[in-house]
Amino acid sequence: MSTPLHDDIYKLMREPIDLAALARHVRAPEDGAVVTFDGFVRNQSHNRPTLYLDYEAYESMALAKMREIGAQLHEKYRIHRVAIVHRLGRLEIGETSVFIAVSAPHRAAAFDACRFAIDTLKRTVPIWKKEYFEDGAVWADGELPPAPAATPRAKRAS
Amino acid sequence: MPSVSQTIRVKVLFFGRLKEIVGHAEESLEFSDAATIEQLFAHFATRSPELAKFRSSLVASCNQEFAAWNTPLHSGDEVAFLPPVSGG
Repeated sequence: MSTPLHDDIYKLMREPIDLAALARHVRAPEDGAVVTFDGFVRNQSHNRPTLYLDYEAYESMALAKMREIGAQLHEKYRIHRVAIVHRLGRLEIGETSVFIAVSAPHRAAAFDACRFAIDTLKRTVPIWKKEYFEDGAVWADGELPPAPAATPRAKRAS
Repeated sequence: MPSVSQTIRVKVLFFGRLKEIVGHAEESLEFSDAATIEQLFAHFATRSPELAKFRSSLVASCNQEFAAWNTPLHSGDEVAFLPPVSGG
């Protein structure tokens, strides 16, 4: 895949995400819009009070999948820059777990791309969260990523 | 029976609840070179029977790409068993 470098940011981090810095990073004079998505830790899950969350990832694959999402955004939408950052480790209520920022000359492409990015991330990026409650912890219900049914992998010629 | 079958070494990773069932995140093991990801999983399910329950709600990856269960293994492959993802 020949993805040009767009000065994008794709990152997994254990420290708090600097939302303002990312929104600033994607913004350029030739743009007219930045759309951001800020996903943060809710204080309850199915009406049970949440204490905190713990995120883990298959880091090398998660990063590769986040970059793939970015490449798709550039193919599908007239956008400029993308930042996709996901936090790992223990997160308290209200802390940002995922932040996405997309800049574009016009708002429609930025809205559409940002929505596509978070929806695709939630289905395809290997990250898991464990929810901690007063009386125990559970792995959050997730989505099973679409996987090839029964074909040999494409990349290796035999 | 004479055979040209060789052993290969693969790295296997477990995440989320699978890691808790198996007891560790990573393992390197030798396997017959004709094996598939499905057979690799069966090997672990024999060792940790609890795993078998999750077979239908897992996807596998090979070298950081989602992979079909019948994908043949090659030496040096990194295989992972991935529960439903819940990032975001």
